[in-house]
Amino acid sequence: MTAITKKGTVCWRCHAPHSGGHFCAACGKIQPLARGTDYFAFFGLPQKLWLDCAELEKLFHQLSWKLHPDNFVRAGEYERELSLERSSQLNDAYRALRDPVARVEYLLAHAGMRKEGAAKQQAPPELLEEVFELNESLDELRTARASSTDDSHLASLKQHLEAEERKLETKLREVDEELKRIATEWDAAFDAGADQSQRKALMSRMNDVLNRRSYIRNLVANVQKELAEA
Amino acid sequence: MARTVGIDLGTTYSLVAYVADGLPRVIPGPYGSPLCPSVVSVDADGSVVVGEPARRRLLTQSDRTIYSAKRLMGRGVADVQDELKLFPFRIDPDSQHVIRVRLGDRVFTAPEISAFILRELKSWAEDFFKEPVERAVITVPAYFNDAQRQATKDAGRLAGLEVLRLVNEPTAAALAYGLHEKQRGLVAVYDFGGGTFDISVLKLVSTGEGDIYQVLSTNGDTHLGGDDIDNVLRAAEWEEIQKIGLNGFSGLGEHAQMLREAVIAAKHELSLVDKTFVKFPAPDGGWYKREITREEFERAIAPIIERTIGPVKLALADAHLKPAQMDEVVLVGGSTRIPLVRRRVEEFFTRKPHFELNPDEVVALGAAVQADILESGVKNMLLLDVTPLSLGIETMGGVIAKIIPRNSTIPASAQELYTTGVDNQTGIDIHVLQGERELAKDCRSLARFQLKIPPAPAGHARVEVKFLIDANGILQVHARDLHTAEARSVEVQPSYGLNDAEVEKMLEDSIEFAEQDFSERQLIEARTEAESILLATSKALADDMAAELAADERRNIDAAISLLRAAVLGSDYKLIRARVDALNQATMHLAELMMNRVLHVAVEGKRLEEV
Repeated sequence: MTAITKKGTVCWRCHAPHSGGHFCAACGKIQPLARGTDYFAFFGLPQKLWLDCAELEKLFHQLSWKLHPDNFVRAGEYERELSLERSSQLNDAYRALRDPVARVEYLLAHAGMRKEGAAKQQAPPELLEEVFELNESLDELRTARASSTDDSHLASLKQHLEAEERKLETKLREVDEELKRIATEWDAAFDAGADQSQRKALMSRMNDVLNRRSYIRNLVANVQKELAEA
Repeated sequence: MARTVGIDLGTTYSLVAYVADGLPRVIPGPYGSPLCPSVVSVDADGSVVVGEPARRRLLTQSDRTIYSAKRLMGRGVADVQDELKLFPFRIDPDSQHVIRVRLGDRVFTAPEISAFILRELKSWAEDFFKEPVERAVITVPAYFNDAQRQATKDAGRLAGLEVLRLVNEPTAAALAYGLHEKQRGLVAVYDFGGGTFDISVLKLVSTGEGDIYQVLSTNGDTHLGGDDIDNVLRAAEWEEIQKIGLNGFSGLGEHAQMLREAVIAAKHELSLVDKTFVKFPAPDGGWYKREITREEFERAIAPIIERTIGPVKLALADAHLKPAQMDEVVLVGGSTRIPLVRRRVEEFFTRKPHFELNPDEVVALGAAVQADILESGVKNMLLLDVTPLSLGIETMGGVIAKIIPRNSTIPASAQELYTTGVDNQTGIDIHVLQGERELAKDCRSLARFQLKIPPAPAGHARVEVKFLIDANGILQVHARDLHTAEARSVEVQPSYGLNDAEVEKMLEDSIEFAEQDFSERQLIEARTEAESILLATSKALADDMAAELAADERRNIDAAISLLRAAVLGSDYKLIRARVDALNQATMHLAELMMNRVLHVAVEGKRLEEV
């Protein structure tokens, strides 16, 4: 397990050497956080994507009891600072790990493998045709709304777009399923002690899925916004 | 050891509470009630009157008296333009990033006015314990932004209090209820007070170490409360008055306050009876009186009550919960006494809400519990609260990049890495905002600052900026140069509110108030109280009902008046107090006569001024 406290150092208070952990094993004082500590390690978890959320919540509560600034109101300034640093990290980590998609996002970002770039704005090839059609329908809807002469035309356009929205939602579920499949592969590769290049390949695939997912989500949000205004 | 207390710094009333034998209790003030009206009045000589006597001065010296100053906390001049149509705030023209209001010929910021209230409560507690009180937990509306929280913390500091923690009002209420009712599961707290509305959704969990109160989401409106109800009623009444024409009634200054008090009294009565009168003494000596039914009242205020439902829906959506999934619903705040509010909440959640604890006191009680936890170090309860608004930084084109989403458990943080875009650039400007909208111009500016960079080729600098929201919900910014691992100091200029130097300056200035002699303050308050009861009595004696008094009753009243007048000339505040009480006793029957006529119900034991 990765150490979450500055490695190769000694306790700032009692100078006992320590090998990581939130508190000094010798004197019990809270320790400064190592730079770049990963959220999984913070909870003492391996970097795997399947997580029991009830178990994670339990860990979150246990650590909250120990790290929360409430415990350090009467402590010295340095300890108060460390508590603030560690408890904010705890909350940030819990926020990222409790949600399955945010968890993948975090894993990739931490490894420097989350690449949105231009891909965010570009339609995935297999969706090109549909997106083209969808944009046409949205244009039509806006025109119809502006002229507002033909109510039945507007109604049928709305119906069409609602059907499109349902299709996109289905696609989103498929994407989520795909992400889940790769996550399972990731966990298996992790257990098997896969090498760096294998991991990178998996992360790169997850990155593509995440980009596709965020693209579709934007489409859905757009359609919903236009429908709400129509 | 100095005591630690919990303080509810409310829009209309403020309270102070403490914990003894494991139970929170409120501390009564010099008038017996634990409710201190959040009203401040400043004399020409600079002496300050707070609470009940100040409230009475709204009717006699409205230009040097202020109420609902909480509405101005952490706000800029542009923010309060709508409020100025409804509240008699006299904003100083020199106000810039912080509002200054005129009271008589002096000028104060909202934190200074709140500090007067906090200092009053501190003195209540010190009189009660007979020992100094130096630390406090102060509550704030859950939906308060960073500037409003910072202003509250500044107020505490100006009042000579170390603010151990700012706690969100609905969370404090949940703490008091949790202790009282042993509640578990999902709880919605609907907190509708004098000036603010909050909704918080909590999960109460029992763990091996104790109970965790985890806030899942919160929402609200920091400018929606009983004040708004009063303003609607007042506007409606003013229309009625203009229809019939009321000789000499300007509707301004003291007249506006008289009308305000009259509609507030009617509002309170309509929570108990089906109809009552809006009634106040007319300038020409008679009475203005108009009947108002609960039905008419509810029609008038329904749109305001409905405005609370939007935030409730948003809070539930953020927690991914449906109204029916709540195990308990708790009502907090004076405005939840209104039957329509209770009906609407019950209808929305399809569940009878709790209001077993006094809705005026429950927030202060919760604050006392949190103060006790922090002070005693006995930890069997833990609050995990959230930040109500997303934190973002302005990026290219005025677009916001959200770095800490709303409803994140606090403390929460986010890191951003900055570098330079051109050679030898020596600074990077950073603009921090709070809010949910996409564009910077639609969000609340919190602060601006510049990162100083040593001259170097473009892209060489690596500065990591850490934005951290602490357990009070207040932003801290730290910067670190990644090349040298050195911390960089960041001087943050708040967009709204006081900077450190201004608070320091005020602390120095405020010593003159702090050192004001205790008995002198008591004397001012006793005199003010005497003034207002004398005024009320002479008004009542001019009323027709006075004719129904027996001759000896009338003689007793006249004697009590002379005695009180004589006492006011002296400087013995205890004597003045005693004679105020004597006059109140003597006029009790007159008050009842007038009350009976007005309400057609027997209300006994009311003081004349309350009729």
